[in-house]
Amino acid sequence: MSKSGPGAPRSAAAGFLLALPLLLFLVALVLWPVAHLVAAATHGPGAFRAVLAAGRYRTALVNSLLLSAAAAGAAVLLSLVPAWVLARERFAGRQLLRAAMALPLSFSGVLVGFLMVVMLGRIGAIPELVRWLTGRELLAGAAYTPAGLFVAYLYFEVPRAVLTLEAAFRRFPPELDAAARTLGASARERLLRVRLPLLAPALRASLALTFSASMGSFGVALILSRRFTVAPVEIYTELTGFSNDAVAGALCLLLALATLAADRLLAQGGRRWRRAGNGGGLGELRQAAASGTRP
Amino acid sequence: MGHAARHASRVAGAGAGLAAGLALGAAIVSGLAIAAGFAAAAPALAPPAATAPAAARTAEPAAEKVVIQYDCIPNYANWGSVTALYKKVSGVTVPPDPKGSSVALAALERERDHPVADCAYYSGAIGFQAAQKGLHQPYKPKGWEVIPAELKDPAGLWWTVHTSTIAILVNTKALGTAPVPRSWHQLLDPAYKGKVAYDDPTWGGTSYTLVYGLNLLMGGSDADFKPGLAYLKQLDANVSFYPRESIYNAVLRGEVPIWINADGNGYKMRHVDGGPIEVVIPAEGSFTMPLVMGMAKGAPHPEETRRYFDWLLGPEAQAEFAKAFFRPVLARAMPADIAAKFLPAREYARARPLDLARMAAAADALKRAWLDEIRGAGR
Repeated sequence: MSKSGPGAPRSAAAGFLLALPLLLFLVALVLWPVAHLVAAATHGPGAFRAVLAAGRYRTALVNSLLLSAAAAGAAVLLSLVPAWVLARERFAGRQLLRAAMALPLSFSGVLVGFLMVVMLGRIGAIPELVRWLTGRELLAGAAYTPAGLFVAYLYFEVPRAVLTLEAAFRRFPPELDAAARTLGASARERLLRVRLPLLAPALRASLALTFSASMGSFGVALILSRRFTVAPVEIYTELTGFSNDAVAGALCLLLALATLAADRLLAQGGRRWRRAGNGGGLGELRQAAASGTRP
Repeated sequence: MGHAARHASRVAGAGAGLAAGLALGAAIVSGLAIAAGFAAAAPALAPPAATAPAAARTAEPAAEKVVIQYDCIPNYANWGSVTALYKKVSGVTVPPDPKGSSVALAALERERDHPVADCAYYSGAIGFQAAQKGLHQPYKPKGWEVIPAELKDPAGLWWTVHTSTIAILVNTKALGTAPVPRSWHQLLDPAYKGKVAYDDPTWGGTSYTLVYGLNLLMGGSDADFKPGLAYLKQLDANVSFYPRESIYNAVLRGEVPIWINADGNGYKMRHVDGGPIEVVIPAEGSFTMPLVMGMAKGAPHPEETRRYFDWLLGPEAQAEFAKAFFRPVLARAMPADIAAKFLPAREYARARPLDLARMAAAADALKRAWLDEIRGAGR
C-alpha cells in the first residue's frame, strides 16, 4: 500500500530537515542537562548507593512512585465520564466547561499548593464551613497530609487526563458501536469487546502522561509536604541545603529512569494486549460495519 | 475495503500513534521538568541570565543600574522599603530575591565561575560559612568602625547590618482559647497541636539559628545534638509544617498561629500591619542573631555594590531597617518611637549571642541530623 518511486528518498530527507529543529532542541535541553546530571552523580563516590540504601532518599523515590501512580490512576478514572461527555455530547456551556477544566493546567505547582492551603489549611474554607455547619473541627490542616497532597495532584492531573481523553474519544468511530449493536452484542459485550479495546491506547497514553507529570511535579510538594516527602523535594533540599550535587544528580536520574520505565511498561502492556488477540474481533467488525452485512 | 473501514483502521492507527507519542512526550516533559527544577535550584546549570530577575536583565543595557542581592525578601527586615528608598535616592534598582540564607549560599557556590550576584544577605552563621568557602571578596563599607568587633570579619569578608532575636510570634486571635505560650517547655503542650511552625532549617538561616541555639540551651554541644533534637522531636507533635518560603502573611492571617522566627517580623505584623500578634522571648532564654552581608567574589557591578553597602550602613538605611524592628547595627539610628515598641530590656537579657564560627562548623551535620530525626521520611 505504501507509496514508492522517486519521491520517497526526497521526502525522507525533507523529513529529516523538518525534524532537525526538534533534534537540536532535544540535544540542547535533554541530552546536555542529562550529561550534566550523570557527571554530577558519578563525581563523588557512592551517590547511587546512598540513594538506594534504606533511608530518606529511597523513601522519597518510593513515595513519588506511589503518589504518582495513585494520582494517575484516580485522575484517569475520574476523567472518563467528563471526557466522554465533552467529546460526544452537545450542550450549552460546553466550551465554557472545557475552558474551566483547562484552567488548573495553567497554574504553577506553588500556586496550587497555596490554593490547597486556602481551601484545606488550618483555617481553610472547607474546615471553616464544616465548623460553621456542625461546630466540629474536621479537615483542618488536611492540606499538609499525604491525602492533601494527593488531592492537590488530582487538581491538575484530572484536567490533563480529561483533555487528552477527550481528543481520543472524539475520534471513536460510532459506526463500530452501532455495528456491534446490530450484530446483537449486549451493552456489556460492547463495552468490553469494542469500546475498551479501541480506547485502551488512549487510556494508557493518558495514564503515562499524568504519571510522568506527577513524578516531575515539585511546587505543590514544596509548599505542602511535611513528613511525606517526594523525590523532587529531596533534590531541592540536597542542592539548596547542602550543595550536594552528587546525590541530587543521582536522585534526578533515578526519578527520570523510573518515569521512563513506567511509560515503557504502559506502552508494552498495550502491545501484549493486542498480540494476545484481545479485541481480535474488531477487524471483522470493521468489515461488517463497512459492508453493512453479517460476517 | 469500504470507506468506513478505512476510516476505522486509520483511527485505530492514530490511537496507537497518539499513545506512543504522548508517552514519549510525557517522558520528555517530566525529564525537562526535573531538569528545570534542578536548574532553578542550581542556577549554574542554566545560562546565568535565567536566574537574574527579568526586569534587571532587560533594563541593564539602558541607563538603569542594578545591584543583584541574593536573599532580598521584601517583607523580611523591611528589604522591600529599603530597596525602594535606595532606588529613590540613587536610581539603582535592587530587585527582590526570594532565596533563604542557605539557598543564597548554595547559589553563590554554584555560580562561583560565572557570578551573577553582587552580594548576599544571610543570617550570621551562613554568611560566615560563605566567607569561609571563599565566595566573598573583602570590602569595608563606610561606617565600618561603628560595627562592634564581634559582629564583623576583621578582613571585611562579612559584617552585620542589623541584629534580631529568636522569639515565639503568636497570633492571639488564631490561637483561640489556648493561653499564649511563655516558654519552650509550654510549647510542647498538646493544646498547641497543629498550630506551631518554624522554617525548614535547611532552607532558612533564622531557623538554623533556632535549631543550633535550642540544642545548646537544652544541654547539647557541637558534638552532641541529641538534647536539642529530643526537644524538637517532642515539639514535632505540635508542628503543622516546616515552611520553605516566607509564611509572614500566613501568620498574619492566622493560618499559622505560632511561628518561631525573628522578633522583628512579629513586631512588624503587630505595629505596621495591625495584626493581633504577641512577641514572646521564652522564659528559658533565647538567642540573638546577627544578619550579615558580604560582597560576592567577581561581583558583576562592583562599584554600584560598594556604594550600596556604604549607604546600607548609613543613618537613612539603618533607620529604615529599624522600622521593621530589626535592630540597626548603627545603634543611634534606632528611632525612639520604634525602640519603645520592643519588649522591655529585661526580657532581652535572657537572649544570648551564639558563636558564628562554631555554628558554621556544625551547620551541615546539624542540618542533616535534623532532616533524619525530625522531618524524616515516610508517614
